[in-house]
Amino acid sequence: MASQVSTADVLIVGGGLIGCASAWHLADHGLAIELVERGHINAGASGQNAGSLHFQIERRFLEQGEQAAREGAVIVLLSKLAIGDWATLEDRLGRPLDIAMHGGLMVAETEAELDLLAFKVGRENELGLSTVLLDAAELRAHSRCLSPALAGAAWLAEEGHANPRILTDAYAQAAKQRGAVLHTGTRVTRLTMEQDGTYRVQLVEAGKERTVLARKVLLAAGHWSTRLANMLGLNLPLYPAPLTMSVTDRADPMLPFLVQHVGQRLSMKQTDDGNLLIGGGWPSRLERGEDGLPDLDRPALVDSANLRANLEVAARVMPALRQRSLLRTWTGTTCVSADQLPIVGEISAAPGLFVAAGGSLFTLGPVLARLLAQTIATGTMAEEIALFSPARFAKLDAFAVLP
Amino acid sequence: MRTYDVAIVGGGPAGLAAAGQVLEAGLSLCVIDEQQRPGGQILRQPPETFAVPGWLPGASYRNARALLDRVAADERMVWFGGQSVLAIQPAADNDGWDLVLAGTAGPGSGPVKARRVLVAGGCYDMPVAFAGWTTPGVMSAGGLQTLVKAQQFLPGERVVLFGTHPLMIVLAQQVIAAGGDLAAVCFAQPFSRMAQLALGKIPAALASPGPLVAAAQGMAALRKAGVAVHFGASVERCDAGPEGRGVQVHFAGKAGPLHFSADVAAMCYGFLPQSDLLRQCGAEVRWSMPAGGWEAVHNGLYRSSLAGLYVAGETTGVTGSDAAMSEGAMAGLAITADAGKLDQRTLDARIAPYRRRRQRLEGFIDLLRTVADPRGRLPEASGDTLLCRCEDIPAQAVDEAIIEATAMGRAFGASEIKLRCRAGMGLCQGRSCEHALIRRIAASRKVSEASVAGFKARFPVRPVTISQLIDNGEQ
Repeated sequence: MASQVSTADVLIVGGGLIGCASAWHLADHGLAIELVERGHINAGASGQNAGSLHFQIERRFLEQGEQAAREGAVIVLLSKLAIGDWATLEDRLGRPLDIAMHGGLMVAETEAELDLLAFKVGRENELGLSTVLLDAAELRAHSRCLSPALAGAAWLAEEGHANPRILTDAYAQAAKQRGAVLHTGTRVTRLTMEQDGTYRVQLVEAGKERTVLARKVLLAAGHWSTRLANMLGLNLPLYPAPLTMSVTDRADPMLPFLVQHVGQRLSMKQTDDGNLLIGGGWPSRLERGEDGLPDLDRPALVDSANLRANLEVAARVMPALRQRSLLRTWTGTTCVSADQLPIVGEISAAPGLFVAAGGSLFTLGPVLARLLAQTIATGTMAEEIALFSPARFAKLDAFAVLP
Repeated sequence: MRTYDVAIVGGGPAGLAAAGQVLEAGLSLCVIDEQQRPGGQILRQPPETFAVPGWLPGASYRNARALLDRVAADERMVWFGGQSVLAIQPAADNDGWDLVLAGTAGPGSGPVKARRVLVAGGCYDMPVAFAGWTTPGVMSAGGLQTLVKAQQFLPGERVVLFGTHPLMIVLAQQVIAAGGDLAAVCFAQPFSRMAQLALGKIPAALASPGPLVAAAQGMAALRKAGVAVHFGASVERCDAGPEGRGVQVHFAGKAGPLHFSADVAAMCYGFLPQSDLLRQCGAEVRWSMPAGGWEAVHNGLYRSSLAGLYVAGETTGVTGSDAAMSEGAMAGLAITADAGKLDQRTLDARIAPYRRRRQRLEGFIDLLRTVADPRGRLPEASGDTLLCRCEDIPAQAVDEAIIEATAMGRAFGASEIKLRCRAGMGLCQGRSCEHALIRRIAASRKVSEASVAGFKARFPVRPVTISQLIDNGEQ
């Protein structure tokens, strides 16, 4: 017997930040949106990351060469847009989101790191990002909670943090209010393209099969996006990156801003409730599945050596951390692309199929979702995200399984 | 990393009984416990520097003490005292388990690896929230007992015991022996009801009469000492005494209200199995009847749902130290057999006497469970009573979170409520309030407690200072 068939203008796969935010924006363009999520809303990396809003240029864009400089420039441009989006998000979604933009420091421990920061600040200032370089004495005057041994830091007033536990839910609720239909506990079992270019998406929800026909499909399923693209013989060079985040007990307010490190993996901040959140990209460990491969469907395990290394860096930067108690460490799996830039946009081999995945998508999530929705709705790629277009990996799709 | 054939988490009756079997089979073994010395809660030992004549007298401790004397003296056992296990994880090479350790007070030990792990974590007091339960002087019966057993110390002269669990009879005698003045022992259940429930269970309980005799002797001893034992007296609230000294305990009773002034009011509504490590690594647990909490599930031979991971004693359900010793011995034999040191026939033969011993206790365990059942007898938390005392979350805030979650229209468990209102996010990691949250969610959703998902157990299962973790590297 044929399963039930319905239609949507855009079918979004993935109930994380990007999926829900895109649903909200797309619904505003008057499109019929259906979002399907195999777990529950915000169950993946969107809800598990540490919630940093970081806009300073990352170290890798400071390497020599024109390409790094060009990419850095685009990232800065997007960061400036992102700052604007974050600053107005609570108003636009009409609810508090624990967004704190009280500034952020990228610290340096050595003179070499400080030199790198000076170079970075120079480039950022040229690009219109108002980072300020602090030497050791200025840093000490600025933030007494940090180690006096630090060589200095770069300060950006707009950085900060938001609460990953509530942001995606807020987008989901707002999307629903605009008429988007959200189905949780719904898994994609088959994805094909019809002769006329329509996508046929087979779903299982509570043991029942059904089909959605959609002109356009957005894969916003984090590292699972590769599996979905595989259903069409398409290859997204995205690799799972299981990470570690930790939280301490509540402390008196001591750290009003975001702290990162130019030479080490570190992010540290204090929530409104007083807990200190520590992360920065230290790997956790995926268990092996029955087939001998890393099992992406089970939560990654805490790697105690990496956890210790993470806490060591954090305590070196802020010695008072040593006296706090670790309450919880959790893991979440994001993904990185082959060139470490997100993959966002239409896949050239499969017109109407869009993807948005590839890490750093908490800070840039709101702005990328907005620009991607604009791209999907108008059919014209927003220029600001051209750098992230899947077109750069088009040669991987020579063997697509399409009509 | 130090590697052992077997690691046992918990040096109480179950862990020691298992250790005895494992050592006898010639397997290498480490036993890890948060206390400095072996014995568990039941035989909590005083520090070695204390000389305590006549420590833990009485027939009910005899078997456990003999086990302690025998196994603790065995030099083949590597003892890690004063160490918390923060996590049990599948080893990176998929051969056995990695255990992450941290010191409870002093320096920690580095990680340990073992082919097979037994979790015999015991149980802990169930704290119950009611008006004034955070008043200084209100504590758990187990806390009071620990001070008496291990430190020979009474935290106050005058003591009130209240709750539903007959352990209060044993504790009352210990308080008197330690020189305390017992103001009252208040059982929430009426005597007639207790007697009626007990009567039908006594014949089966007589298969192993020791505990029953001890209880009767305990009651007689209290009567002789002139201690007032009240039944049908349920606690309503506690207040601080005059000038903040001591505590006033107020009861509603069938025979009218009762009020006592005391230095210490200790509650005893039952015990929750210690199973966080198992929940963290994904072994199967189920809601423990009747008091609550999560008990580890095993296959009858004390193998958990995960290969190479075993469970025994109160971790599998609160049944007392005699049962824990039998279970531990059986778990030790199962481990020995799985390690290839016993064939099936020998295993069956050697397990049989322990199984029979455990079986004979079933009658008394059933009696005790029935009589001690706290359900329907737990004091009520009013709206402003703190359910989560780590994060200062009142019952009202929890109830509002439950209403919000219900409005989202999907089944939810304790973790969703925690995320909404922060109950369970603090230092105790939800040990104190999880059962209360689950009871409230179950009542609100009109489902059984067993069907409500508990908190996700995360690394580390015990909070640990950052400096401990940093300084506690691979050795």
